[in-house]
Amino acid sequence: MPSVSSRLTGGAAVLLLATGLLSFPGLAPNPYVLSAGIVVLHYAVLATSWNFVGGFTGYLSLGHGALAGLGGYGTGLLVTKAGLNSFVALALAMLLVSALAVPIGMAALRVRGASFVIVSIALVLILLLVFQSWASLTGGSRGLVVPRPFDLSRPEHHRVFWFLFSGLLALALLAWWLIDRSRFGLGLKAIREDEDKAEALGTPTFAYKLVVFVVSAAFTALAGGLYALWFGDLDPVFQFSVLTGSYLVLMALLGGVRNLFGPLVGALVVGVALEYFKVEFGNTPLHLVATGVLLALVVLFMPDGVLPAAGSLLRRLRPAGEQASIRDVTAAELRERRRAEEVRR
Amino acid sequence: MTLQTVDLRKAFGGVTALDGATVRFRDGKINALIGPNGSGKTTYFNCVTGMIRADRGRVTYRERDLTGRAPHVIARAGIGRTFQLCRIFPRMTALDNVLAAVRPAGVFDALRGARHRVETGRARGWLTRLGIEHLAGAPAGTLSWGQQKLLELAGVLMTDPDTILLDEPAGGVNPALLDRIGTLVRELNAEGRTFVIVEHNMDLVMSLSDHIVVFDRGRPIAEGPPSVIRTDERVLGAYLGV
Ligand SMILES: Nc1ncnc2c1ncn2[C@@H]1O[C@H](COP(=O)(O)OP(=O)(O)O)[C@@H](O)[C@H]1O
Ligand SMILES: [Mg+2]
Repeated sequence: MPSVSSRLTGGAAVLLLATGLLSFPGLAPNPYVLSAGIVVLHYAVLATSWNFVGGFTGYLSLGHGALAGLGGYGTGLLVTKAGLNSFVALALAMLLVSALAVPIGMAALRVRGASFVIVSIALVLILLLVFQSWASLTGGSRGLVVPRPFDLSRPEHHRVFWFLFSGLLALALLAWWLIDRSRFGLGLKAIREDEDKAEALGTPTFAYKLVVFVVSAAFTALAGGLYALWFGDLDPVFQFSVLTGSYLVLMALLGGVRNLFGPLVGALVVGVALEYFKVEFGNTPLHLVATGVLLALVVLFMPDGVLPAAGSLLRRLRPAGEQASIRDVTAAELRERRRAEEVRR
Repeated sequence: MTLQTVDLRKAFGGVTALDGATVRFRDGKINALIGPNGSGKTTYFNCVTGMIRADRGRVTYRERDLTGRAPHVIARAGIGRTFQLCRIFPRMTALDNVLAAVRPAGVFDALRGARHRVETGRARGWLTRLGIEHLAGAPAGTLSWGQQKLLELAGVLMTDPDTILLDEPAGGVNPALLDRIGTLVRELNAEGRTFVIVEHNMDLVMSLSDHIVVFDRGRPIAEGPPSVIRTDERVLGAYLGV
């Protein structure tokens, strides 16, 4: 059972998040800040969606940008070409991407480690080529204009989408939390630790990975589709970009993939930094370099992300004794204990 | 009737690890599989449990053909195993290691809480029986080698296997623990579980097993009760180097 203190921390985090999500549109000084906030929030949904695969199974996908792109184009095309209602189109696009995620997952999840990362990159590049060259349907590099779902002023439009993204984030967090505490989740974490061992114990590992990949793809597609409806203009170069996937990996790793709120916190840090860079320096290759350096630093010094690092710092400051009896330990804690043991010897 | 293989072959590049292994183990008994290093014992376990695909041959278990089936299917058929190098989930707690062996019965069952009271009780029961209940909340990676071996066994037992394959259970284990493992195997066997044990400790093998199969260069060269194997010339020549 979770300890009282971890329940309190969890409750406080939910309260903080809800307060932030509900009050931000009122606090934003102008529509521009609100729209920047939506970009960051959209990253938070994407990073949380990515974490269904990355966090539970340890498979690092750089291809999730493409799944978001498919959700975006799917929604956009269903609105413009099929004339569907925006949100019907969004739901349908989510279903289509989920269905497509089955064969994609079946191909990609056969390989592990670096090979999986490379396959996921290939996915993005292939889709970029397809969507750029199939200009008659997608508008090619000229882009696809998606009509807005509501006839609202610009600030109102932003406000509504802020709350839509907030709802989606809450849904993704809830789903991740449910899986995290379930038998299915424990099986997925066993895969992350030692896939062959998990299989030897009777876990149908391939089916587990595939299911969670499809769930991840569904949320990613919803985030991509909602973005399309909000932003109203899609360009394959941005929709099918390896960079998007890299940002998501960075956000999730930075915040901590084993923590419900890790990717969200990472998205907040990286997303705000990205938006800031854009304002200060424009779209230069500089933030590419910054992303790479940050990713390397995180992997080297905080393999479990900032949230667990902060958590273990807090725990060290707190008097010993009160410890949860059953919980995951982080790599940092493990190293710490090993070091302590070595000293004792 | 029992675990049985016919003409199992496996080569790694130029190295022939299994060279036509036709073996039949005794149901309800403690079987031992012995042989010199590199004689293919671990590869045999890997082929039987589906971790490695044999080049040819058949695996049957209680009238069921398991040839080429996935490891999780074979595990669910009732065959559990431990690994020579002891595999656990190091960053999970000991209790979660055992709970990870719970098999959900369906989609809804899979979405139920992992720490359900009934399963947690069973898992703690196995930890208690193996004498490591006090470590339930500890990260498995921090346990000692011997404790990790016990924990691995607890996970396997949680799957309630009819047949248990142990790959060198005595390897790197202290004499006191060795005793405990021997007693435990006898008790579990008395409760109806069949064992196949790969082991180099001859005292343990001779005192524990009902039936011994001797491997040399990827195939069985002798089999029988300990009293026979002890004096078999081929065994002495190939294995004990006498
Ligand atoms: N994965 C592998 N790749 C290449 N060769 C292997 C592999 N596994 C086992 N072998 C080789 O097969 C032979 C049998 O090994 P193994 O089954 O581990 O023997 P044992 O368990 O009896 O000591 C050895 O020569 C070993 O080097
Ligand atoms: Mg071996």
